[in-house]
Amino acid sequence: MRAVIPVSNGDTLGAVRDFLRALITEEVVDAVLVPMETTDGAVAPALVADPELLEAANPLAPVLGLNAAPVVGHVSLRTPRARIGVVLRSCEMRALVELVKLRQADLADLVTIGVDCLGTYDVPVYNALRDSKGGGALDSDALLASAETGDLAPQEGYAFRDGCQMCEKPHAEGTDITLELFGADLRVGIPVSLPDDVAVRLGLVAAALDSGEEHGRRVKVVERLVRARTQVRDARFAEILARLADRRLGRIFASCVRCHNCMTVCPICCCRTCLFRTPTFEHEPMQYVSWAERKGACRLPADTLLFHLTRLNHMALSCVGCGVCTSSCPVQLPVGSVFRAIGHRLQGTFDYVPGRDTEEPLPMVTFRENEWSEIGEE
Amino acid sequence: MSLSRVGVYVCHCGTNIAANVDVARLAEFARSLPGAVLARDYPYMCSDRGQALIREDVSEQALDRVVVAACSPRMHEPTFRDAVRQAGLNPYMVEMANIREQCAWVHDDRARATEKATRLVASAVARAVLLEPLEERQVDVEPGVVVIGGGIAGLAATLTVAEAGYSAYLVERSGSLGGRVRELDRTYPTLDKVQVVLRELVSRVAAHPNVTILLRSSVTSVDGCVGDFTVEVKTRGANLGEGVDASRDSQTLVVGSVIVATGFDPFDPRRKPELGYGQYPSVITTLELEQRLAAGDLGDNGAAPRRVAFLQCVGSRDVQVGNPYCSRVCCMVVAKQARQLRGLMPDAEITVYYSDVRTFGKGAEEFYDETRAQGVLYRRASVSEIVRSQNRVRLVGEDTLLSRAIGVEVDLVVLATGMEAGADSASLSAMLRLQRSPDGFFLEAHPKLRPVDTATAGVYLAGCCQGPKGIADTIAHAKAAASSALIPLLRGSVQADAATAIVNPALCANCGLCVEECPYGAPALDPFRGVATVNALLCQGCGACAVVCPAKAISLQHATACQVLAQVDALMA
Repeated sequence: MRAVIPVSNGDTLGAVRDFLRALITEEVVDAVLVPMETTDGAVAPALVADPELLEAANPLAPVLGLNAAPVVGHVSLRTPRARIGVVLRSCEMRALVELVKLRQADLADLVTIGVDCLGTYDVPVYNALRDSKGGGALDSDALLASAETGDLAPQEGYAFRDGCQMCEKPHAEGTDITLELFGADLRVGIPVSLPDDVAVRLGLVAAALDSGEEHGRRVKVVERLVRARTQVRDARFAEILARLADRRLGRIFASCVRCHNCMTVCPICCCRTCLFRTPTFEHEPMQYVSWAERKGACRLPADTLLFHLTRLNHMALSCVGCGVCTSSCPVQLPVGSVFRAIGHRLQGTFDYVPGRDTEEPLPMVTFRENEWSEIGEE
Repeated sequence: MSLSRVGVYVCHCGTNIAANVDVARLAEFARSLPGAVLARDYPYMCSDRGQALIREDVSEQALDRVVVAACSPRMHEPTFRDAVRQAGLNPYMVEMANIREQCAWVHDDRARATEKATRLVASAVARAVLLEPLEERQVDVEPGVVVIGGGIAGLAATLTVAEAGYSAYLVERSGSLGGRVRELDRTYPTLDKVQVVLRELVSRVAAHPNVTILLRSSVTSVDGCVGDFTVEVKTRGANLGEGVDASRDSQTLVVGSVIVATGFDPFDPRRKPELGYGQYPSVITTLELEQRLAAGDLGDNGAAPRRVAFLQCVGSRDVQVGNPYCSRVCCMVVAKQARQLRGLMPDAEITVYYSDVRTFGKGAEEFYDETRAQGVLYRRASVSEIVRSQNRVRLVGEDTLLSRAIGVEVDLVVLATGMEAGADSASLSAMLRLQRSPDGFFLEAHPKLRPVDTATAGVYLAGCCQGPKGIADTIAHAKAAASSALIPLLRGSVQADAATAIVNPALCANCGLCVEECPYGAPALDPFRGVATVNALLCQGCGACAVVCPAKAISLQHATACQVLAQVDALMA
């Protein structure tokens, strides 16, 4: 059903908070996993059981420090478990779908709540922006106002996260409940699509006849936004592929400090202990010397490129383009762009769209008798 | 670095290796490798004396690992494992460097081949020092065999198993036994009546107390491994009579071996529309002529054809239809049918249009000669088209010896249609985890040394499901398959190879990729512990799980990441 969450006094965020609170008080869910504001304005996901505390919930805050999909796994993977509402941006939902395929999360007792994403800042940028406004939570009215036309723009002098700039899937899809911000005047109401039984419990009624028109407006806004973002994305791909052709992967990652941040924050990287954190790559001293002798010199720490190649091998097909890897790289390497550019081609090869459908099998474990016959000896 | 004591043995393989590799230099080089305490070269390491050499060194020199630089491990690894086992060493402490198939045989520059051999040996020694002893497990064998397919191959295999004193379950899809052979009239080259031979075989099988025949039945799943297969068989209810409860439709057989004897499909000549089959009644196949010969009625309402043409290689040796292989029986089938027709119609003109005649086998060439001596004409030709010409058909093509166009009107054309892999091969191969060769037939484990075995231990191939065969070859193949299938049963227990995958539960994220990837169904997710586990008996040691596991929580014993990396490093050094 499509309905409208009423907004009073132009307080969109307040309406979202009321909506989330009602999910708990009307016993749709036992708790809600949602980005929360701390008293000094930082934003981080938290599992909220006390509806009163949702006064601090802010899924509209334009900041993304980590992709919440893996923590959804923490609360959903094993039984016994509670019914949990999880509020996710589109990139988080896509990552969650991939994690379900990798058996790191289970949708059975979850109510997924998608929110159209208006763009996010890196945490330091967000903090700087808050400081420039005198601290506390950031007022995002201007950004919310831009949802109606889709002319999303960061605050002047600041930039959205690298991943967001090239994100061609900012709209929420495939969630149980969807807060459809695009194309709507959010000062008046928030269009929402949700299961009929949930709507009944929350006392929401099907939107009036003009909801079709409103929905049409969202579709148009999304189309335009996707077109523009796709252009940015393709330009970024072309740029990174040219660099790859010219300077190759090894040079792009030459200044990698092996902090493993990209691996730690990557929502798809789900190994308990990464192979690169085991003694597998602790070689004998003479091994390093023999490499140095053979090649003239040997970069240390060794196996840096192997680390990125291995991650590419494991992740690229499932990369949903959230870009938290780039966001968390201390030496500002274009990790996400490399993964997306290579992943995009690889995904195209297998006609695979990560995050689309939990039923879509992972190409890595899909056996086809005749596959990639152009590769190898033939 | 290492406290291991590796002995390296360089085999000359007569001159197979020694001719192209400087074996003495190779042995000298091997002595310098870290961990190696001795290296010898010897004319034949696999000989009794060669093996004794290893055994003596193991005890006298206290070797703890052995590297044999010789042929492929597929050839003699078991031999050398046995040798070190006799000397008291764990059999998994043997590593082979293949300097024959992968070196001496494929290179002709002796200096460079020797250089490559040194790398291969260095690599083998680098891995050998990291080898770990593994324990093989003994598994009891269920004393029975399931035979899938009740054609001549299945019948012969079933009878062999039953005669050896074991239970044989013969699962046949149709309502009767005999398969394709039921459609045949006479054998070649002896011209026996096929149905007499078949009837005798069927009655011996049917009467045998060790045989259970399941007609109208299909195998729906095969689980387990050599010694302990669980085979689900579904029987279509038609014949079970009234009051039969539905549960009897399917039954579970537990057996030690499985024999696949699912046969072939004849090539459908409609796929070559230029030959007019299905369009002109006077164009028939050899199988159809066989039935007419059996019935003693050549069709055509008694007006026996005056001019008959046989066309060889229809659907065989034909890349256009995707069958580049020879079907092996058609040449003799045609020679035999032409001879039979000759006897029935002494005045008819009978011509065989062929591209090559392949009458191999006992008495076959003699039979072919006699057929020609009886006035059957053989014309090397390429027939491009068959068209209608009033009541007859016209053969259009080229005489490839005379380079002259052919245009002949004939009363009857017989297409020698070849054999193809059965239409259900793909689903069977998935269920039985059988590999297929490019022609679609099931792939044997080794074309020469293991012609009836498959990559799955305990599953054997009999007859045409492995490739085209005549009746005699099929029966020989089937009896070989039955004999091989009996080996685990006769031993009573099988040794499960210890080179299987194992899971490090501390690393396993339970993502299930290994479960999806394994072609043998060996890994499973343990719902309580939240980690993958591997059934060592199902594991064939292929390593697919270890490759796909992102955390390398699964590793293949005897090919661990450390061992393989050491091997690669030594190769690249």
